[in-house]
Amino acid sequence: MTELTLKINGEDVTADVEPRLSLADFVRDHRRLTGTHLGCEHGVCGACTVLMNGEPVRSCITFAVAADGTEITTIEGFDDDDPMTMLRQAFHENHALQCGYCTPGMLVAARDIVTRLPDADEDRVRLELAGNLCRCTGYVGIVNAILSVIEKRQA
Amino acid sequence: MADGGTGPGSDRQGIGERVLRKEDKRFLDGAGRYVSDIYLPRTLEAAIVRSPVAHAENLKISPPAGAEGRFFTAEDMAADGVQPIHVVSKFPGHKGSDYPHLATGKLRFVGESVAVCLADTRAAAEDLVAGAEIDFNALPPVVDMLAAVEPSAARVHDDWDDNVILDSRFDANAENVSAPVSVTRTFRMNRQAVNPLEGAAVLAEWDAREDRLVVYSASQIPHILKNALCECLGLRQNQVRVVAPDVGGGFGYKCVLLPEEIYIPWVAMQVKRPVRWIQDRREHLVTAANAREHHYSVTLHAQPDGTFVGLEADIIVDSGAYSVYPHSNILESTMAGRTLHGPYTFSAYKVRSRAVATNKPPIVPYRGVARPGICFALELAIDAMARELGREPYDLRMQNLVPPEKMPYTTITGGEFDSGDYPEALRRSADLIDVAAVRARQLEGEADGRLIGVGFGCYIEMTALQTSAAARAGLAAIPGYEQAHVRLTPDGGLEIGVGVQNHGQGMETTLAQVACEKFGLDIDMVSVRHGDTATSPYSTGTYASRSMVMAGGAIARTCDVLGENIRRIGAHLLQCGFDETTISGARVVGPSGDVSFAEVARVWHRNPEDLPADVDPAGVEVTSGFRPSPDKSPFSYATHAAIVAVDPELGHVEILDYVISEDCGTIVNPMIVDGQILGGALQGVGTALFEESCFDAEGQPLSSTFADYTMPGSTHLPNIRLDHLVNPSPLTEFGVKGLGEGGAIPPPATIANAVNDALREYGAEVSETPITPRRVRACVVAKS
Repeated sequence: MTELTLKINGEDVTADVEPRLSLADFVRDHRRLTGTHLGCEHGVCGACTVLMNGEPVRSCITFAVAADGTEITTIEGFDDDDPMTMLRQAFHENHALQCGYCTPGMLVAARDIVTRLPDADEDRVRLELAGNLCRCTGYVGIVNAILSVIEKRQA
Repeated sequence: MADGGTGPGSDRQGIGERVLRKEDKRFLDGAGRYVSDIYLPRTLEAAIVRSPVAHAENLKISPPAGAEGRFFTAEDMAADGVQPIHVVSKFPGHKGSDYPHLATGKLRFVGESVAVCLADTRAAAEDLVAGAEIDFNALPPVVDMLAAVEPSAARVHDDWDDNVILDSRFDANAENVSAPVSVTRTFRMNRQAVNPLEGAAVLAEWDAREDRLVVYSASQIPHILKNALCECLGLRQNQVRVVAPDVGGGFGYKCVLLPEEIYIPWVAMQVKRPVRWIQDRREHLVTAANAREHHYSVTLHAQPDGTFVGLEADIIVDSGAYSVYPHSNILESTMAGRTLHGPYTFSAYKVRSRAVATNKPPIVPYRGVARPGICFALELAIDAMARELGREPYDLRMQNLVPPEKMPYTTITGGEFDSGDYPEALRRSADLIDVAAVRARQLEGEADGRLIGVGFGCYIEMTALQTSAAARAGLAAIPGYEQAHVRLTPDGGLEIGVGVQNHGQGMETTLAQVACEKFGLDIDMVSVRHGDTATSPYSTGTYASRSMVMAGGAIARTCDVLGENIRRIGAHLLQCGFDETTISGARVVGPSGDVSFAEVARVWHRNPEDLPADVDPAGVEVTSGFRPSPDKSPFSYATHAAIVAVDPELGHVEILDYVISEDCGTIVNPMIVDGQILGGALQGVGTALFEESCFDAEGQPLSSTFADYTMPGSTHLPNIRLDHLVNPSPLTEFGVKGLGEGGAIPPPATIANAVNDALREYGAEVSETPITPRRVRACVVAKS
C-alpha cells in the first residue's frame, strides 16, 4: 500500500492505496465520485477525463499514486466554474447528449478546448475532440455547443 | 438551468415542439446513476474465467487457491437446478440449442463464460481468475460462415446434422424471376460490435426486506429479463425485481439476455451478499456484443427499360454459437430474406436465407437489425444494374420505387407499407446533394488526383414490431398492448409509468410531451417513470423502434380515459353536465367557468368529502393501453445521399457531403428526431468505413481493444444536412412512426455506392464492409 495526499475538488484527501489502483477507480470507488465514467479502461474513449492541475488526463490509465500532490477536478467539482456553467447550458440547448455516459468526460475536454483555444473553429474543435468517443449523438450537437460557447466568450 | 425549459419562441410543449430534455441536468452534473454507480454494503466484485479457445470439449476446471466459497461453475448451478437459456422458434426446421450460462463440457467461442470468481475488489477477483486452471481437448473451430455450411465443416452443436440453424425460402412467382437484363454480385457485411459507451453491468442482491431478488442491470428490457430470471432460477414473479437505472446506450445489445444477467444474481443468492459484475471493454468487444455479418449472392433482373422484374438471392447470416433470448438466432436471417426487396416493386422473388452457427459469439440485434445488410446488398446491386444499363442510378431508383398512389402497398412477400412518398424522399435528397453538379465536377477532375462519386441509399424500416409477426416467429417476447399508467398527483401534476426503458432517446421528455398535448399542462408538472419492474406496467421493453409508437400511444389512450374521470369531477365542481366540459390548459372548462387540474386533484385526494356521491371510484389513476389497429407496423423510410472523394493510390475515402431526406411520420420533438438520425447515421458510417470484429483462422478475436477496433470519431463525418417529409401513419396515435434505428441503415449502401461511382473509370466495385483503404486498394489493383 502507498500513502497518497492530494486535493480533489478543493478538498484535501489522504489515503492508503494499492499501487495498481487507477485514479478513476480511486475517485469512483474510494471517494464515491461516480460522475467520472469508465468507457474503455485503456485510454481511448475519454469518458474518464478529469483535470489534474488544470490539465485534462485520462484517469483510467493514470495511477492514483501518480496523482500524489496534485489537484484533481472531476465533473462534480465545477459548480462555480463559469466556462463549465456555459458549457452545460450549451450542451442542453444543442442536444449534445443522449445517454449521458460520455458527457462528463466530454464536458471536461470541452472546458479545456474553450479555455485553451478561444479562437478555435469547427475543424479545430473536431480535431481536439478526437480523444473523446460518443456513440449516441454523431458529435453534431457537441461541436455546435462548444462553438457556441467559444462565440459567447469572444463577445 | 431551467428544468426542461422550452425552445425559444414557444409556449406549447406538446407534439411537434422542440422541448429541451428534462433528463439533461443530472447527466450534465455527473449525477446520472448507472449500475456501476450504485453501491450496496458488503458488495463482492465478480470477474469471469472465460474460454481461451473457440472450440473444445471435455472441459475441466480447477479452482484457484484461496477461493473457497468464491468460485462457481456450471456444476454448481446445475446442482442447484438452474435451467439454461433455451430459445426456440416456431419456424419449421429450426434447430434448437441451449445457451449455457456457464460452459458445460464444451466450449463454443473465445470468451464464453466458464466460471465466476468473487473478491472484495475487481482487481482481486481478476487475480483469482488468473489462478484458475482449465483443461480441455481443442476441436477444429467453425469460423467462417461460408465454410460452416460445407458438409466437411466441424459441427458447433454435436447433435445437429450440420451448422444450418434455419434454411428459409421466400419465393413468390419464382418461376418468372428472370428478365432480359441481369446483374449478379456477392456482398459481405462483416461482423462488428455494438459498443454503447457503457457496457453491460449487473448488480444483484437478495433483498431481505422486499423478500425478493433485486437485479440492477443495464437493460433495455427489464420485464423480459425478469421473466428469464424466473424461468432459469425457478423463482416466482413476486420474488424478482429488475431495475434498469440510467443506461449508457444500448442500440439493441441490451435488449437480449446475457448469461451474466442470470449467473451473477444466482451467485449473489449463494453468497448471500450483493454481487456486481461490470463488463470491461475487452469483454464487450470479444465475448458478447457482436452483430451484423451477412453474406449475399444477389441477382437483380430487369427489363431493358430498367423496370425491375425479379430478385434472386442466397443469403447467409453468421449467427454465432448460441441463440439469444428473447429474439433468437434467426431474427436477422428471416428478416433479411423476407424484406430484401426494400422500397421497390418486384413481380417475382426467389430468395433463400440461412442462419448458420459458428464458433463465435452469438450475434445480437443491433440498430437496424438485418436492414443495413439488405440495404447494402440491394442498393449496390441496383447501382450495378444502372451501370449495366447506362442509366443514372437516381433515375433507375425513381422508376422502381413504390409510388405513393399505391399506398397502402402489399409487398411481394406479403408485408404492408402503410404510408409515405418514397420517390419524394429520393427526389429531395437528389436535389440537396445536386447530382448534376457532381457529374460536372467529375468531368473536370480533381486537382489532388482524387476521384469524386455520388451514391444513394433508400430503405424502409418496419417499426414497432406487431403482435402477429412476433407470434408467427414464436419469439419468447411477443409485444401485445403496450400499457401506461397515469396518475393525477395531489398538486394537479402527472406521474406516468411505462414499461419501456429510456437509455438516451429522450423519452422522459417526448413521452411527457404526449401528456402535454392531451391536457395542455406544463411539462415540469409531468414525470415519466420507467426502468423498474416494481413500478411500471409490464412491457417487452425498448427495441425495434417501438417506444414512441407504443408507449406514446399508450399514454395518449390512458390520458383519454383519465381525462374523462377528471372531467366528471370537474363537472360536479362546476355544477354542469359532463358533456358540457372540455379540457384545455390543464383545466376542466364548462359553460360558465373552469376549474384547474390542481383543484380536481385536491378534491379527489385531500377533500374527498366534496366529491359527488356517484363518482367513479377508479378515480384519477388509470392504466390503459394501445397497439396499432389493425395489428400492423408503421414503416419509416428515407433516402441518404453522399458525395465522397476516393484516393485511388491510398484507398482513403473522405465523405464530402451527406444529406438525408426522411419520413418518420408526425414529429414529436424535432430536436430529438434530428439527434436520433444523426447519431444513427454516424453509427452507419462506422459500419461503412471503420468497424470490424476480426477473427483469425482459429477463431481468436483480433479486435479486442479500441486500438484494434476503430470507432467513428468527431472528425469522421461532416455536418449532415437533414430534410424531413411528414406523412403521418394511419395506424398510430398522432401518426407517429418509429425512428430510433433508421439512421444507421443506409450509410453503408450510400457510401459504397458513392465509392463505386468514383471508381467507375477503373471498373472497380467495393462489395464488403468496412470499406477500408486496404479493401479499396485491392479493388483498384485488381482492375488496374
